[in-house]
Amino acid sequence: MTDKRKRPLRIVAGIASLAILASACGSDKKSGDDNPTTAPAASTTSSVEVPTGGTLTIGAEQEPDCFDWIGSCGGSSWGYWMAGVQTTPAALTPEKQADGTYQYVASNLLTGEPVLETDPVQKVTYEINPDAVWSDGVAITCDDFEYTWDQVANGEDVYDPTGYTDIEKVDCTDPSSPVVVWKKGAVYSGWKQLFGAGYGVWPSHLLKGKDRNAETKDGYDWSGGPWLAKWTKGDNVTLTPNDKYWGTKPKLEKVVFKIQSDTAAQFQSFKSGQVQAIYPQPQLDVIDAIGAGIPKSKSVVNAQTGSLEALWINTSRAPLDSVEVRQALAYSIDRDTIVKQLFGKVGVEKAANSLNPFILAEFSDQESFAGYKLDLAKAEELLTGEGWAKGSDGFYAKDGKTLGFEIKTTEGNKRRQTTLIALQQVLKQAGFDVKITFRKAGDLFGTDGPNGDFDVALYAQVLTAITPGLCGQFCTDSIPTAANGSTGNNWQRFSDPDVDEQLEIIESSLDADKQKAAAKAADKLLAENMASLPLDPLPNIIIWNETVIGPIGDQAVLGPFWNLNEWGCTAGKCA
Amino acid sequence: MTESMGPSTDQVDLELAVGAEAAPRTQWQLFWRRFLKHRLAVASLLTLTLISFACFFADWVAPYDLDELDLTLIGVVKGPSWQHWMGTTDLGQDQFSQILHAGQISLKIGFFVAILSTLFGVTVGALAGYYGGIVDQIVSGFTDGFLVIPQLAILAVLLKYFGQSTNVIIFVLAALGWTYVARVSRGQVLSFKEKEFVEAARAAGATGPRIIGRHVLPNMVGPIMVNLTLSVAGAIITEATLTFLGYGVKPPETSWGFMLSANEGAINDTAKMHLLLFPGLMLLIVVLCVNFLGDGLRDAFDPQAKHST
Amino acid sequence: MLTYLVRRILYSVPVLLAVSFVTFWGLRITTDPLLKFRNLRNAATILPIQRKRLGLDQPIIVQWWKWLLNALQGDLGVSSRTNGAVGGELIHALGTTMHLVIWGTIISSVVAVSVGVYSAVKQYSIGDYAFTGLSYIGIAMPPFWFALMAIVLLVTWPKVHWDLDQPIFYSIGLHSTDRSGIFNLDYFRHLALPVMTLVVQTIASWSRYMRASMLEVLGADYVRAAKAKGVPRRTVILSHALRNALIPLVTVMALDTAFLFGGLIITEKIYSIPGTGTYFLNALTAGDAPALLGYTLLTGILVITANLIADVLYGVLDPRIRLS
Repeated sequence: MTDKRKRPLRIVAGIASLAILASACGSDKKSGDDNPTTAPAASTTSSVEVPTGGTLTIGAEQEPDCFDWIGSCGGSSWGYWMAGVQTTPAALTPEKQADGTYQYVASNLLTGEPVLETDPVQKVTYEINPDAVWSDGVAITCDDFEYTWDQVANGEDVYDPTGYTDIEKVDCTDPSSPVVVWKKGAVYSGWKQLFGAGYGVWPSHLLKGKDRNAETKDGYDWSGGPWLAKWTKGDNVTLTPNDKYWGTKPKLEKVVFKIQSDTAAQFQSFKSGQVQAIYPQPQLDVIDAIGAGIPKSKSVVNAQTGSLEALWINTSRAPLDSVEVRQALAYSIDRDTIVKQLFGKVGVEKAANSLNPFILAEFSDQESFAGYKLDLAKAEELLTGEGWAKGSDGFYAKDGKTLGFEIKTTEGNKRRQTTLIALQQVLKQAGFDVKITFRKAGDLFGTDGPNGDFDVALYAQVLTAITPGLCGQFCTDSIPTAANGSTGNNWQRFSDPDVDEQLEIIESSLDADKQKAAAKAADKLLAENMASLPLDPLPNIIIWNETVIGPIGDQAVLGPFWNLNEWGCTAGKCA
Repeated sequence: MTESMGPSTDQVDLELAVGAEAAPRTQWQLFWRRFLKHRLAVASLLTLTLISFACFFADWVAPYDLDELDLTLIGVVKGPSWQHWMGTTDLGQDQFSQILHAGQISLKIGFFVAILSTLFGVTVGALAGYYGGIVDQIVSGFTDGFLVIPQLAILAVLLKYFGQSTNVIIFVLAALGWTYVARVSRGQVLSFKEKEFVEAARAAGATGPRIIGRHVLPNMVGPIMVNLTLSVAGAIITEATLTFLGYGVKPPETSWGFMLSANEGAINDTAKMHLLLFPGLMLLIVVLCVNFLGDGLRDAFDPQAKHST
Repeated sequence: MLTYLVRRILYSVPVLLAVSFVTFWGLRITTDPLLKFRNLRNAATILPIQRKRLGLDQPIIVQWWKWLLNALQGDLGVSSRTNGAVGGELIHALGTTMHLVIWGTIISSVVAVSVGVYSAVKQYSIGDYAFTGLSYIGIAMPPFWFALMAIVLLVTWPKVHWDLDQPIFYSIGLHSTDRSGIFNLDYFRHLALPVMTLVVQTIASWSRYMRASMLEVLGADYVRAAKAKGVPRRTVILSHALRNALIPLVTVMALDTAFLFGGLIITEKIYSIPGTGTYFLNALTAGDAPALLGYTLLTGILVITANLIADVLYGVLDPRIRLS
């Protein structure tokens, strides 16, 4: 593996937080979230008997562009949550542990955990469950693994081939036991997400020799999961049970995802019972509404997510190219108070203190930024030491230049707008002259970020799979340059040889303990350098009508609807 | 359309008889007397003046300073009270003060778009109508072309290209708004062209621009003023709609339309309804006033007309 | 008449061409259809493929010319957002939108004409003042605000307040899931709010026009003459006056077709209706030039057609007018 940029960015929803592919494992640390309404997935598994039958309608904020999850048009998070997860079988799936963290475990597609060998080359052997069949009754075999690998690794128009390109072959000598063999010298530490997160396994007998994109982009009628998905463009995605599914059969007769992009109108649809569950973005009005209580409904607010909202700093631009100035900035903000004001009503009261989201708790030091508390004396000391002096206008200045910068964020997002206006005021009192600019999500993520045309940007990164390490965002060779086609995701232009060293260990090692040690060391270094400033763990919110029952709970990696087959309606009817 | 009836023959006779110098004063006096009789229009004019004054001098009039922010009040939204007539916003700030500041932008857009588009539209329309021929064909073709595309669509594309500052919004809205006025004034000029007083002037050796400026335009003041007021209302509403679609005003600039669309989510929380109510109310009041004012102006300019459009 | 129509259609061709080029050029310089690929892990591989697929490697004028040649053969190209054929997608979207357009036009013209006639006949009555006030309020409300308020007051409030099983009106789409057809209650319960949002402004302004032109006609000599001859009032109003008063309204209605399509953007967004407005917004956000061009072309043709129909109606309503 020479490539360090491990996490492609995925734009979530029109309003857009960023999403990344990565993965989470177990951890022994809880976030500061002790809200009683918070119900981590694993603990919600209720003992209530879920009746069968009924139609459930769920509001969906975003319509996917296509259903070809392998192709580059298939990068929609909602598409993945609604249909991808429900129809493509995965070899290993991230499972939420009792402590709120995630561990990759074998799904019911396999008979047991796959076997990893490293000598002489990396090799993984899977055993396919003999009961596993596609919706047409044809058994899932090694051919399907081979087909999936071939499509991802050798296709041209592919969303993300990470991990598949270094595979030498999928050995199908035993059709029920695929053996994945890597190229000589190649090591892929994230092998557990292969044939899982994002893509799953695709049916070779239906697609081989055909144009995959043409066959699937408008929807497909096969499934290797609990549901069959039908897409009525512009209107809905409808799930009906897959009779041939070998695992837990769905209780509901039908699930309809109604597409409704206007979020305010969607909340009204929920209140008026036109949809019985929603998964809204954590906007202020939603948080207030939950805080005030919504009659006849229940909700889950999960702060232990793969999301992290932060002030991402372009470390190549003055004055923030100076570590001291960045540290002074961090000491000038009372992050805990801001987070408490924004999310306190749903029980999130503490700022995030790592550039890794909570689900990577085990592979990070979740308290590495805890030292940055409001301390104006310290900020002044740092700035004075660098030659900055407060002028009569209250702003610091050096050589006739005022200490100032611009913060960019996405427009149309009231929470971010509120956050930035608050930051502007706070920093003004601390002596920073801050300008705030609102950009269209597409411009911020498509142009400003890659081109480094920003001083500071406020947005969220979202992990939608599990891979530890921040090399993609902070390694020197991930800086967008002409050499890598400006595709690196180190928009911060952060570069530090010590950090590189630690992050590269995480990338290239198959030894979890070694990875963990390196990750913690890297987090510490990033905090010392104040590479960027984490703000809050953007919580995930599910709200549902009380007539909907079952183990409803957010799954930070697979999305909110990962266990839809266990949901049901009271008395067979969802109001 | 009906407002293009133009001035009554009495007025024209009056002007010709009394002469160009004395006539305007008498006309204005008549006009004012008629206007003041239209009580709704007078009340609207006063209300508009008051609102504009309060908004443009918001720095002095607003009861609270929006630059001051209490971190612990963020997210604490309170309904109307004696301290905060229109309640507080998500930043914990006084909404009344914010409305005054936002009004600056909304009114600025309304007034400037109306003035710019009317000026340009009247000039182009008058020239096209007066000279006819190729000039007329080009202008008519242009206005027809503009009709073909839904305005919102082209506005969004233009704003995306030129950026979304208030000034750009004004110019773009004006650039698309002039065609209607041009159409109206072209029709007016066409109908005046054959009238005796124009022919008389032409016979006396007056040149084209002079005839238009001196004789034709003064007779079109009525319909133009009405159009002006309607454009104010149209521009303010269009800006609000564009902002809702994400192509209008962006913070730190705010308008009433921006406040409405930013607080769209408030419909889900009865405790926040005032965030949608008051900016909406301000829009309603201003647009109503502008329309009544237009009615009053038309009646005053054109006492014979029994209609109001 | 026929030559007039043919000439009008021929006139509109250069207009449509110019509009399509300006749109194409504007889009190519303002939007980046490759945006969603730029962040991908293997963007370096995908970008050249996509650039070629979308024809971005050629000069804008060449791209437009190619688009035009294909469009003339009925092929509007492939959407860069969905990989689907723009023509098919637009027809589909138009099918949905026509529900709103047809009902919207019928309801607004019927209501506007009735209100206008009433206000004119009963000039300065309480009813006249009430309608005047209402129409001013209608014009003064931003459509999106009206739409949201309608949802709160007519959908959610009754449902929650009276604890109904189902809301009286719906606010998502045109049908409940699995329902279709246009002669059932479900359809009308879905249609009520979007159509209301769409017509509130047109009713407000059309009724003002109708009132004004009715007043003018009622004051005309021939109507006064008819009255003097003892023709019953009702006959005078309905057969003599109404017909003539409709003429200017028809023009206004035709001119407002473009406005109607603009209004659809807001209405369809808020009520989640997958019509042309939604299609336009999605395409605009994604910088999807083929889709936007298709949209411009479609609406352009529809608006021109509406104006031609108005011209023909003009002739029918007023035989004195000769189109040549």
